[in-house]
Amino acid sequence: MKNILRHIALLLIVFGCSDDSSEIVSYVNSEVTIDIPFGFPEFNSTVYTNVPTVYGVELGEKLFNETLLSADNTISCASCHMQENAFADHNAKGIGIEGRIGLRNAPSIQNMAFMNFYNWDGSKLQLEDQPLVPIITYEEMDSSILEVIAKLEAEGSYEELFNKAFNGEGITADGIYNSIAQYEYTLISANSKYDKVKREEGETFTEQEAAGYTVFQDKCISCHSTELFTDQSFRNIGFPLNPDTEEGGRARVSLELDDYMSFRVPSLRNIEYTAPYGSFGQFQSLTDLLDYLDAGVLDADNLDPILKENENRIPLTDTEKENLIAFLKTLSDEEFIEL
Amino acid sequence: MKNLKIYALLVCASLSILSCSDDDMPVANEVTLEFTNTFSGTTIVLGDDTSTEATVNTSDQGQVHHFAELKYVISNIRLIKTDGTEIPYNINNLDTGATVVDQSKKETLQYVLSDIPTDEYSQIKFGLGVRSDLNTLDEVSFPEFYATAGANDTEMHWEWGTGYRFTKIEGFYDTDNKELSFHSGSTLEGEEGSYTQGVDAYRDITLDLPTTAVVGSNGPTIKIEADFDYLLSGNSYSITLVTTSDITNNATPSAHTATEMEKFVDNIGGNETTDITGMFSIIEVEN
Repeated sequence: MKNILRHIALLLIVFGCSDDSSEIVSYVNSEVTIDIPFGFPEFNSTVYTNVPTVYGVELGEKLFNETLLSADNTISCASCHMQENAFADHNAKGIGIEGRIGLRNAPSIQNMAFMNFYNWDGSKLQLEDQPLVPIITYEEMDSSILEVIAKLEAEGSYEELFNKAFNGEGITADGIYNSIAQYEYTLISANSKYDKVKREEGETFTEQEAAGYTVFQDKCISCHSTELFTDQSFRNIGFPLNPDTEEGGRARVSLELDDYMSFRVPSLRNIEYTAPYGSFGQFQSLTDLLDYLDAGVLDADNLDPILKENENRIPLTDTEKENLIAFLKTLSDEEFIEL
Repeated sequence: MKNLKIYALLVCASLSILSCSDDDMPVANEVTLEFTNTFSGTTIVLGDDTSTEATVNTSDQGQVHHFAELKYVISNIRLIKTDGTEIPYNINNLDTGATVVDQSKKETLQYVLSDIPTDEYSQIKFGLGVRSDLNTLDEVSFPEFYATAGANDTEMHWEWGTGYRFTKIEGFYDTDNKELSFHSGSTLEGEEGSYTQGVDAYRDITLDLPTTAVVGSNGPTIKIEADFDYLLSGNSYSITLVTTSDITNNATPSAHTATEMEKFVDNIGGNETTDITGMFSIIEVEN
């Protein structure tokens, strides 16, 4: 409110002093071009309504790393979404302020601009709706948006950054949500060895990687499809169940019994950097995970048909597992990790 | 002295004339909504698992149960005049038009509507929960309701869904006092008219008043009963509570894995078609 008054006052001054050719302070801010990488799907339509701009992305990145978003100023988005881990972390479940442990494994943040569902249960369909969730969740930042706005106002440097990013609107809740989403839209990983092989940029798979790619196409690609390496469907694949009574998987959103303990198929890109694996970090390593799929998964009425048709397992020999892991490592994008 | 007496008499006389005149009728007055939370007419006493004071109810399926915590959100209040005109009460402002009824806080059992136009009213409508267009945990727009609902002893924020909890019931069931936990809230995504996913737990309630509420020189009180016997034994479903490991049974009384939340919601809030009263009824109107 104070800011609005200040702006009005400012405008009045500007108007008052100027001749007919009065000019309101305008902020020059250009759009950031995001190219759709080779073979990638279309953008989530929201990218077109919250188009990343130079200052929007700059502000979003600063906020992404801002611990003032948490009640005790200790946790930022980047605390659980670390770039060196493809914007995931190494904890089984997210850890918020005062060491509070959350419900699920922090998912990596990459290629968000192309996703149609966010979070393990797809509870959000627009990235702009997501930042408020960790800000207010007890196990994460345990703050509130007004508390955050007040702290950003007191900090001093933000006012101008918001004005530049959002045409003089000052520090607003929407400015926080939109700028963080804009920053995340720019986090695109499409420069792994796999991509360079596909784009015929001089790289080739080793024999083992090529063998792994064959296994992948035979046994993984029906779910981990497209260049995003996820078909963005929700499936119960019989992984060990989260004992937390809060967990219901996709059913928490849809309230459909068929969705109980179903989770969004995660992308496999940069999987080398995102251990542990599973919705609450059930698996320490890719070997553990593949061993589990090979040995047989938990049965359930809504177990994915592909598993049901295969005696509740994905059979893999030790060699196949090794080859598969070699292939999965070709999805590592060092440029994205170091950026 | 005598003059003074006459003067006083005159003042008295004029006052009585004034109070008799029609000009004295206020253009508006208060209407108080008074909520009584019961099990089939018996006012609920809350209690923990060892409580001997708590009101124990038995469902149609024979399960005993009692509550330790009982809260629900009332919003979107509309009073309907005898001529059919609807008077909405701050329906787009949660700060001034919504309240959390909390059985453990006596002051929340009464909600005073101010500035209701002088007239006669024959019906009341309100929402159990928050309409989806307002259900965004928007602290900037409605800081007071956000704070009330989110207070540590109230816990009516549904953080992951960035909406409000509409109903929060904690309690115990069966003779061995297993935990009962029922939270309702909406998971809708998308714009009104074109929702892309989720479920709406908001229920619109319509109650006819047995006697007309006369707003004018008096502010009437509308006494509303919420009969929580309906939670398990409602118009829509007869629910058997089961443990969380068995989700395929009729209902799961756990907080967020309640895949069958809608059954409870339909029972207490109606199904929006054939049942528009749910657990609510009017005890009386006190004019």
